[in-house]
Amino acid sequence: MPAALAEAAWREADAALAEALCYCDEAMTAKAAPARTDALAMLEQALSRAGRKRGMSRTGALGAIEPFDKAEHDLVGGATAARVRVVARGVMRGGDVLAKPRAAPARTKRR
Amino acid sequence: MTAWTLCIDFGTAFSKAAAAPRQAWARFDPGAVRPLALGAVQEAGNPLLLESAVFIDETHVLFGRAALARARALEGKKRSALRSFKTLLGAADLDRALDANALASLDPHRVFQMRDLVVLYLAYLLAAVERAAAADQALARVSEIKRRYAAPAWSGVSAASLHAGLAGLLGQAEAFRRTAGAALTEPDGVAIDLVTRTLPGALERPIEQEAELIFEAAAAAAYSSIGLEQKGTHFIVVDMGAGTTDITALSRRDDELRELSDARLTLKKAGDYVDGLIANVFLNAGKHAKSVEQRTGLWRAAMAQMADLKEALFASGRASVRHEGKVVSIGLKDLERDRDYKDFVKALQEVYGHALVVLAADAARAKARELHAIAVGGGAPSPFIRELVRTQPRGVRVKALPRPATPKWAHAPEFQGNLAPVFPQLAIAIGGALAPETMLAARGKPRPLAPE
Repeated sequence: MPAALAEAAWREADAALAEALCYCDEAMTAKAAPARTDALAMLEQALSRAGRKRGMSRTGALGAIEPFDKAEHDLVGGATAARVRVVARGVMRGGDVLAKPRAAPARTKRR
Repeated sequence: MTAWTLCIDFGTAFSKAAAAPRQAWARFDPGAVRPLALGAVQEAGNPLLLESAVFIDETHVLFGRAALARARALEGKKRSALRSFKTLLGAADLDRALDANALASLDPHRVFQMRDLVVLYLAYLLAAVERAAAADQALARVSEIKRRYAAPAWSGVSAASLHAGLAGLLGQAEAFRRTAGAALTEPDGVAIDLVTRTLPGALERPIEQEAELIFEAAAAAAYSSIGLEQKGTHFIVVDMGAGTTDITALSRRDDELRELSDARLTLKKAGDYVDGLIANVFLNAGKHAKSVEQRTGLWRAAMAQMADLKEALFASGRASVRHEGKVVSIGLKDLERDRDYKDFVKALQEVYGHALVVLAADAARAKARELHAIAVGGGAPSPFIRELVRTQPRGVRVKALPRPATPKWAHAPEFQGNLAPVFPQLAIAIGGALAPETMLAARGKPRPLAPE
């Protein structure tokens, strides 16, 4: 495909990534919690934009409790589990899964 | 050495072009689709997009990004660039609209009519198309390239008269392009002296070429259904641009695609209106902005990055803007609570519902079991539009199938992940290049219309 297509697809993603790097520094160096929260909000927005400009979309819902499926989840914080809680959404491009949703074992409430 | 189709999408904000082999509809190969780098005639910016803008400076006429940059620099001096060609071309009396003198803010020399400015921009666009096609390795080997252009189906304007008007302007533009030569794509623009000497001759002696007109809704139907096993017979297209939201219903019978005129509706509210509503939500959320100056500043900060903010709001449910060192965040729910927003969505649901009833009845009569619902334009990713295209018709055994804004084939490995991110911007040009002749609204050289 023409180089122009690649250049167009990357140009806006590059700009968003550059912005994200700056907000990342702001978040890392913030001395107060409100300033860190603000910088993280801007960082998340810039990173999400970079992802969208590269045709990526998110999959899964944060906090969702689901039966664990090795093919569908990356388990964090445990070797296995019957049910898991989604702690990070996955990333897709078109029909390809670039990163599976990350999930932690869900604790069952004791009666 | 096959014949190809090159489609130009003459957009409100940007012009785009794409090419595809003439037989693409019957034997589709995603890798053969060629978006053209129209923006390569400019020094910077997205190479696939060419800003639709003309600016009359002291001694030169500027085009594209250079025109916008100069207009911005002179904003305080009541000067502006001409951008709304598309609205002008939709005028019921096109000749009258084109014969009007350009406003002083557009032309301080007071020598140009609107027709002159439109023809000048089209000449620049044709020069950009010519250069981009020559630079494309696949197109450079092609023996025959047919030109096609996409336009909306304006209410009250027939396809024949629209084609006659647009193809006539393109003929005049081609004549001027050949006269002006390389000067047209110079970064400094074309000397006004050259324009005033040569443009009248180009207007009198147009170089008319074979051209084909495809309605934007038909182009959307083409890119949505190409490559599918069942290409579909019935389509409803909701196109939310900046100024208008258009609903169009298309039905294919005997291999001809026709528009159901009873279903066509246009809302005079669209993306720009939603932008204003979102900026208002930011104003309500920005508690630090108390004075008029601060509130104006916050409004401007939000509007300056509205495309990104809107995208973030619709994709992730929240958006943030930084103003005077404070981060102001809003959620989608804040917008959904807004009364004006609710009224807009309700009006949209009503007009879409009407078009859906008309199309579903036609589909039922034709014994079709399904219809395709397609969202295009800048508003396509918004949640209410995505919800709209999922609406099912009632009382008939016809199912509405919502089609994705970016079709699956745009993710084909040949594109290495680079087409899908830019597909929504190029969709109409690509669909127009892929569509078969049966989807065309008009074709041939422009001829004077017989009196009706």
